[in-house]
Amino acid sequence: MTRPTTAHGAPAEDGGAVTAADPATDTPVAATGGRAWWRGAVGRTALVLLLAVLAVALAYWRSGSGVVVSQAVVTGILIGGVYGLVAMGLTLIFGVLDIVNFAHGAFLAVALYVTVEMTGRFGVHPYLALLVAVPVMFLLGAAVQRGILSFSIGQPLENQLLITLGLALLIDNLLLLVFGPNPRSVALPGDSGVEILGAVATVSRLLAFGVALVLAALLYLLLQRTRLGTAIRAVAANDTGAQLVGIDTRRIYMLTFAIGTACAGAAGVLVSPLVTIEPTTGELFNIIAFVVVVLGGMGNVVGALVGGLLIGLTEQLGALYLPGQSPLLAVFVVFVLVLFLRPQGLFGSKA
Amino acid sequence: MRKRWTPALAVALPVVLAACGGSAPPGATGSDEGGGTGDTIVIGSLHPLSGAAAADGQQMDNGAQLAVDAINEAGGIESLGGAQLELASADTQGAPEVGQSEAQRLIQEGAVALVGTYQSAVSQNVAATAERNQVPFVIDVSSADEILQQGYTYTFRLQPSAEVLGQRGAEYLAQVSEAAGAPAQTVAVLHEQGPFGTAITESFRAQAEQLGMTVGEVITYDAANVSDFTTQITTVQESGADVLMVAGYYRDGVLVANAVQTVGPELDAVYGVANGAFDTPQFPGEVGAAGEGVFDANYRLDITNPETQELAELYEQTHGDQMRTAAVLSHEAVRVVADALERAGDTDPAALRDAIAETQLESLMAQSGPIAFTETGENENATPILMQVLDGNVRQVYPEEYAETPPVYPAPPGL
Repeated sequence: MTRPTTAHGAPAEDGGAVTAADPATDTPVAATGGRAWWRGAVGRTALVLLLAVLAVALAYWRSGSGVVVSQAVVTGILIGGVYGLVAMGLTLIFGVLDIVNFAHGAFLAVALYVTVEMTGRFGVHPYLALLVAVPVMFLLGAAVQRGILSFSIGQPLENQLLITLGLALLIDNLLLLVFGPNPRSVALPGDSGVEILGAVATVSRLLAFGVALVLAALLYLLLQRTRLGTAIRAVAANDTGAQLVGIDTRRIYMLTFAIGTACAGAAGVLVSPLVTIEPTTGELFNIIAFVVVVLGGMGNVVGALVGGLLIGLTEQLGALYLPGQSPLLAVFVVFVLVLFLRPQGLFGSKA
Repeated sequence: MRKRWTPALAVALPVVLAACGGSAPPGATGSDEGGGTGDTIVIGSLHPLSGAAAADGQQMDNGAQLAVDAINEAGGIESLGGAQLELASADTQGAPEVGQSEAQRLIQEGAVALVGTYQSAVSQNVAATAERNQVPFVIDVSSADEILQQGYTYTFRLQPSAEVLGQRGAEYLAQVSEAAGAPAQTVAVLHEQGPFGTAITESFRAQAEQLGMTVGEVITYDAANVSDFTTQITTVQESGADVLMVAGYYRDGVLVANAVQTVGPELDAVYGVANGAFDTPQFPGEVGAAGEGVFDANYRLDITNPETQELAELYEQTHGDQMRTAAVLSHEAVRVVADALERAGDTDPAALRDAIAETQLESLMAQSGPIAFTETGENENATPILMQVLDGNVRQVYPEEYAETPPVYPAPPGL
């Protein structure tokens, strides 16, 4: 994200705000290539806008109805926000700890059940469950990292991968054992349809989308403006180097995993009114979340949000172009294209 | 360091996809000792006890167990000297290959017959295994027509096939809407893209067109990944259809009902055919007002039958949960096997198969006669009935002989 390379499909509007994944290389490039960078950014923005117009025009041509297209765009953006929300914690863990965390969906399912219990047993507003779910998931994440995953640091990557996979199965089946297989649901009081540009959306989706934006902003500030964030980025860039300048990398690993898991907790509470809650619900998000993480650039929370929006829109518009196909088909076409043109992800820095 | 995830992900994606299906070691449940000899007769029960369909799978296993308990309490199999039945439960995890290996294991451990399995793909594999080993297999739930088109002689099916479900679904829609003076004209279809949704849609469309309805917009979706239906429902609204037919499973059915409420298209009815959501006791509770008035044409336990009511009460006492229709079908599958054992007076699988083929057994399901099998093994009296969500409860509404209350038609969304 530091050079104005050839044109590609990256949404470049906020490119300037998210360059700093690697602070060491940021300053020199910004100083030497300022004008060229801006030209590249304008060019890319124009390209993205052109692609967006083409995509919508094609959708209109295929469906022949403006209402359907605007509904697809609104739904795509709102679903994309949810995907971004789920992927944010994952991208942090992926980028910093280099762990392919297959238990992310299962952690999300735990938060779903925390919400079910809070609303069902104590009758509180679903969003109040954030106050419980986020700290609980933070502690759970810290315990899992310190108690299980920290022992596999320095060993082959497959070890961690299989540990998280096993953890996911364990959590899924524990939920099945404790809560039984019957589907549960959480209702958001006052959840109704709202009209936007001729399309409709529910309040719960709008709120989930709004909180996804807030959470992305908070994580971004945490990473860019605090000592902890600087340490996390340093460990992500070079853990030996970070250790040499006196950063306790063990602590950073634990905190990062805990923050990532807490994000899954927040996501779980926010999506609870949108899904049918079963022990396997978390699995639904796993594959999409990985696609979003890789698409957006590992470790980049803004990238996760933009990647989520891109995937959400692709899914909805793709269903109009290719009726009768799995939405994942269009998603993976875009995924492969982006990786082909920009292997490090939309907002990833070159390693 | 940053590059390392690429091979890792390449390894991991197939692994995690596979893990959605089969993961736990086989043989975690089941009987300790072989049966078929001595005083206990083992019947194998193959259902998805874990995984995405665990709710139905556990209900079905419970239903089968209740049948075994009832038969044992009533003195076992009299023609075999009061031999007791034993249910050997296995978890298919909803995965065809696990179902197949578990079926083989149960047969080797001496099961005289198998019942199961819920998913058509699993049933297909189990049917092949049963045929190879010449052990009778009674399917409780699985709709795919192909299972019984392989010329198998050891496989029988209790639930109506996809063909019957789609046909009757179209007939009921025509009859109910005509009787209400608002005949359905244009039907939009929203169905899951697998063999189940496709087969139901095909037979529904054929029959509907024969009855003078137009099947307009047909939209398919992937039940495993879909997370919102507002775009699809907007498309239906724009197409000007007066009825929306939906064939799918539970989670997607809930999303459809919610999207219909959000978008608010002008429809006379939301009409499920063999829908996995619209007639479950959980559905009205989960979607609230959005479920009101929704129809479903599906096979159904006959709640107007006192024996079925008794079983439902027993189930609720034993398991603290409302009994689903699938549990009754598993219950019936065990009863079919027990009844055949009684008539055959023999645990030899071939003799048992012949006895099952001659079954004439009263059913707890809403069907047009006793359980009896055709040449191919289909239950010839199996039929769907029409249900509707009224005042937050799923009610039997049509045909009249099974109706708890008359249907409300038109039933526009947000009634």
